[in-house]
Amino acid sequence: MRKDRYIHIFILSLLLALPAVVNSQEVPGPDENIPFLITFGRQGAETSWGDDDFSQTFFFTIPKDYKDPFYIRIYDADIGGKTDELNNFWNTRMVYSIYGGKGCYTDPQAKGIDPTGNYKSGTMLATRTFGMDNKLDERWFTFGPFNPADGEYYPKFSSNVFKIICDGVSGDDGNLYRYALSRRPDANVPIQGANAFTYEYTFRMWNNNDTSFVSHIYPYIDSGCIYIRQRNFDWDNDGEFVVVSVERKGQAMPLSGEDQWVDDRMPILDAEIGKSLDFRFYKKRGDLVKNNNVVMTVENQYGENLQFFSAPIGGVPVYKPRITVRPKK
Amino acid sequence: MKRHITYTAVILTVLLICSSGLYGQAKGSFEVSPVTAISSGSDDMAPVILSDGILFCSNRKVNPFLTKKNLEGVRLYELYFAPFDENGKPGKPVRFGSNLGKDTNIGPASVSSDGKTLYFTRNYIVGRKVKKNESNKLGIFTATRNGAQLTDIQPFEYNNPASNMSYPFISADGMYLFFCSDMPGGLGKYDIYMCENVDGKWTSPVNLGDKVNSADAEINPFLHSSGRLYFASDRPGGHGGLDIWYTTLAFGSWTKPVVLDDPINSEADDFAFYAVQGGLEGYFASNRRKYNDDIFRFATTIIRWSVCDTLRKNNYCYEFIEENALKNDTIDVRFRWEWNFGDGTKADGVTAEHCYSGPGVYDVSLDIVNLITGGIEKRQASYELEISDIEQPVIVSPDKIMAGENLVLNAGESNLPGMDIARYYWNFGDETVSSGLEVSKIYSLPGKYNIQLIVSSKPGTGGVVREVCVCKDIEVTADGN
Repeated sequence: MRKDRYIHIFILSLLLALPAVVNSQEVPGPDENIPFLITFGRQGAETSWGDDDFSQTFFFTIPKDYKDPFYIRIYDADIGGKTDELNNFWNTRMVYSIYGGKGCYTDPQAKGIDPTGNYKSGTMLATRTFGMDNKLDERWFTFGPFNPADGEYYPKFSSNVFKIICDGVSGDDGNLYRYALSRRPDANVPIQGANAFTYEYTFRMWNNNDTSFVSHIYPYIDSGCIYIRQRNFDWDNDGEFVVVSVERKGQAMPLSGEDQWVDDRMPILDAEIGKSLDFRFYKKRGDLVKNNNVVMTVENQYGENLQFFSAPIGGVPVYKPRITVRPKK
Repeated sequence: MKRHITYTAVILTVLLICSSGLYGQAKGSFEVSPVTAISSGSDDMAPVILSDGILFCSNRKVNPFLTKKNLEGVRLYELYFAPFDENGKPGKPVRFGSNLGKDTNIGPASVSSDGKTLYFTRNYIVGRKVKKNESNKLGIFTATRNGAQLTDIQPFEYNNPASNMSYPFISADGMYLFFCSDMPGGLGKYDIYMCENVDGKWTSPVNLGDKVNSADAEINPFLHSSGRLYFASDRPGGHGGLDIWYTTLAFGSWTKPVVLDDPINSEADDFAFYAVQGGLEGYFASNRRKYNDDIFRFATTIIRWSVCDTLRKNNYCYEFIEENALKNDTIDVRFRWEWNFGDGTKADGVTAEHCYSGPGVYDVSLDIVNLITGGIEKRQASYELEISDIEQPVIVSPDKIMAGENLVLNAGESNLPGMDIARYYWNFGDETVSSGLEVSKIYSLPGKYNIQLIVSSKPGTGGVVREVCVCKDIEVTADGN
């Protein structure tokens, strides 16, 4: 009897956990196939290690109809242990700060790609500094609970927006981490309709020289966009970068070299408006570029930065060939 | 009496012996009707179309005083002229050339294109009784038309009282005189001969040879403006009795004669074919209604369509385009488009071309190969391509031939689903026509000819006959280049 009860509980747990795994609002998102975000300590780290500004900002959107408390969780929030990037010795401190309230998103400097000016706009709801902490190594740390109403309501998203900034305030080690938005403090339980985005994506590529390990990020193309200008930094010429959309099988774009920015423009097709692009990054075959940390931004023809959503708006764009067959003249 | 028998023998021998044909053209492509206005209870035959009427010969009864008989009391043949009425139809016939001979058969005849010279058949002995054991065969004579009078009657220089010389036909240019004779040295009972006018003199008669003449009888030569020589023959291969055949002179030799189909030819005797310039209408003689010979009018039922679709070539070649890839120009080397055409063949490229072997339904699919990963994305798009032949009558023939060359035209590849085909009509673009699934045609003159193929169905519901037309240009060259 007792044995049966355990089996039932186990099966029930699996069923409950499944949606959380499938739909969790994790950053990087499941469709992105990116192992970690990365931020280096700003004291001593070099941009050539793959972080141009030692700071990373993400925004979470909570649908306005969601009224319950929620949590922002960080995987491997500390700097040290197995999943971070060591330089000499662990000496780095990271400050995670969460903001809500007016201006946390709508302040123009909040939408920038450089941690300058009033990028920490809004009302700070929580903050914590992390150094080396074995208790948090490869574990989840939870901020919250937060009241959705404490975010900044943004009508276009019909959501309350929160901001989390990870600043590498000291040291020179690389902090590898992930975020998750959750209804629960002890597990990643997604909030229906919630999402996360950034304007500058700094992340770690897979340590793999197999081209089947493809990472993706998904900029959203809003109406009025005529062309985009992508900029990427310190890619170490590691593989191929192609842009995929519903009408674009794979437009090749240049990747940067060591400690270098490159940029390129790409006209936007009508069918791409209101959908996401798929920026695909294929690792280079052959010699492994190990611990490759990279930065990506994209802006429209007005120089306005575009969002990379963790869960691509409109879904992952799938290229659809369109065949025309006509008699040969 | 004897003279009459002799003449009749010549005529009837020729007519009866020949149990097969004259001209041969197209089954069902003509309508035939007796010319009642000139019919008599006697024999009416050998129509010649003039500008203002029809000249023919007849042994009809006129009245007891005027009916022409020989001295033995046998009715004789003489020429009659039936003027066209305002509708172009022959009216009441009147005697023609009554001064051409007394107590003798006169006719058939032929008239030069300027209308001034009459070539006619007449017995050699005129105006007296034929003696016992004396033969009175037929010879060819000419007369000059001078107003209403025919004067200056002259015998043809190659007349020979020992042989029959008859059925003269003078070509439109006056350069050739055809006639028939049982003279020694011929190939059959009655052969067709030809003389050429060289410096105003007729050359010696030349037998047209075994392509035209047979062991049987060939009579009633008629050289049409199209270059066809029509004649009547009772040779095997016809419909019965005399039939109308035609042949064409090509590079100095006559082509194998072709027999005209019904309704011009019948199981009875059909002969003395004479067509207007276009060949689409004319007259001939036949005894199909009764024992007597009657003159019939024929007219083609094939009209030339004023608007006829040009024959389109079936196209089995297609272009395959991946539009989305084509409009983005940076696909370059990272991906490869692989087309599977559904017939076991493949090609690479954002666009591709392929020619199929024929109609069918083909499952065209597109795979995209990622050249970075080597992965193949199968069937990223597919297209069911149904290729069918164009619904149309189809003319199968060479596009270019030489003048005088036998052109074979075939309609067997016509694609007209649901159409219960009754007839294939051909209009050769030179005012000649034919019918049948496969026909042959010889163009004498170089030029470009627009051939129409008109296909008609059997009557459907309510008796509706469906007709469709395609046309094709044929280039006829003088030298094959």
